[in-house]
Amino acid sequence: MKALYSTLVDQIPPSGIRAFFDLVIDAKDIISLGVGEPDFKTPNVIIKQAIKTLEKGKNSYTSNYGLFSLRQEISEYQQNRFKCFYDPHNEILITAGASEGIDLSLRSILNPGDEVILPEPNYVCYAPLISLCGAKVVTLDTSKTNFVPDLHLLAEKITSKTKAIILCSPNNPTGVVIPKKQLQAILKMAISHDFWVISDEIYAEITFDQDYISFSSLPKAKPKTILLNGFSKSFAMTGWRLGYICAPKPLIDRAVKILQYAQLCAPTLSQYSAITALKKALPDVDFMRKSYKSRRNLCLKRFLEMGLDIVKPDGAMYCFPSIRSTNLNSLEFALKLLEEEKVAVVPGTAFGESGEGFIRCCYATDRVLLSEALKRMSRFIKRYRNA
Amino acid sequence: MIEVDILELLKSNARISSKEISDSLDIEESLVKKTISKLQKNGTIVRYTTITNDEKLGKAKVRALIELTVRPEKKSGFDRIAKKISEYPFVIDHYLISGRYDFVLIVEGDTLHDIANIVTELASIAHITKTATHFMLKKYKEMGAVIGDLEKESRLIVSP
Repeated sequence: MKALYSTLVDQIPPSGIRAFFDLVIDAKDIISLGVGEPDFKTPNVIIKQAIKTLEKGKNSYTSNYGLFSLRQEISEYQQNRFKCFYDPHNEILITAGASEGIDLSLRSILNPGDEVILPEPNYVCYAPLISLCGAKVVTLDTSKTNFVPDLHLLAEKITSKTKAIILCSPNNPTGVVIPKKQLQAILKMAISHDFWVISDEIYAEITFDQDYISFSSLPKAKPKTILLNGFSKSFAMTGWRLGYICAPKPLIDRAVKILQYAQLCAPTLSQYSAITALKKALPDVDFMRKSYKSRRNLCLKRFLEMGLDIVKPDGAMYCFPSIRSTNLNSLEFALKLLEEEKVAVVPGTAFGESGEGFIRCCYATDRVLLSEALKRMSRFIKRYRNA
Repeated sequence: MIEVDILELLKSNARISSKEISDSLDIEESLVKKTISKLQKNGTIVRYTTITNDEKLGKAKVRALIELTVRPEKKSGFDRIAKKISEYPFVIDHYLISGRYDFVLIVEGDTLHDIANIVTELASIAHITKTATHFMLKKYKEMGAVIGDLEKESRLIVSP
């Protein structure tokens, strides 16, 4: 009998985060550390310019690649900020969020049977999108190595079918930044075994303790790198859905082929607004970074005071402490915390099996509410540890 | 600077406890108390007040903005006259301004009639040579707080 629905789609497990969301959707008066987005509004300078853009009626389709003027801005920004050059003519593609960039990149390189190495825990979209291409997800557990991919373990996972590795640094959900030494070693393997490094750099602007190293700024990295970035996190523009791929021309040629049929072009208003963002809103990014950093410090200190094991997050907007000492698993912890203390966090298992024993706490929330939530968590943890 | 951070929290919520301030700024509660008491004593913190939307009460007071032209005095300039005006309890705000007028006041009364009396009273002060009264029809924002129905948090409770 013929299947009514796509077998590939039916084989994908439903999103763990979605399942948790359905459980908490009706909860009232809670403090949520469960979001994955900034708590700032989009900078005013961007909003004002967007209104003007609309009034001028600049709202038709753009080139499939996206506005050339935006690609030029991005090219300069990547060069000045992250020391990697991409030609605005044919090495940059504007996408509807970095999420679309990931989808297009994977679809551009994968054939059925290919393998993609995926350090875990990781952001929720990678594995399902790999599976949709008929390729195989090869997970690499980082939970025992401070959430940095272990090089020996990685070497063991590489086969003749390895097509790519996906890195996300700073990482969602752990906040951990992969050190330069590891990046260099991974690049070396990518060159000798000829696979792509898909580097999701969406949190690049939100790092606290060191200068960010873009993967493609490493010597000889560019031909092997598919770089993904966007405006959602750095400029607090999640709902605008705007991101981009930087990659060698042959990759962009293929990605744009899919985009032109599936999407036509990224939202035009958002594209114009992104130009404003890069031209005028970088001071806002600095301001937000400072604010996240002070809240990161607060969270880190509190979690240590609670006696939780935690790897210091160097970026993004998340803490990913271990809650093993409570003898609860991630989902139990999150559900009971919500029920008993009205604080929402995301169970680590939403980000893969190796997230078991951890919870993700987003500190992009009002400082006073944040400290109240931390107080409640401390109370909760004491209760369960002594139980 | 700790003082600025504490003031920022107090300005957004005057009822925040020193414990909450200490938790969210990650400093000792005793330091919070000491700093606030210092700021009160040296006059940096003038008063704790409440921003209200009196329309919800159904009996909003009548407010007017009054511009005044003042003939300054030889020795004290505007200050002596300003002090006199500020002493009136119906004067809520009072500034010396640049431009066509010298002072701008916000005054408050129960009725239009009250405001008329206030204007008459002010106009009778020697040195005040001209007044212009503007009744306030609707309040949109006060001290940084937008007046109106509360905006709901628009983010999802949980998102990837």
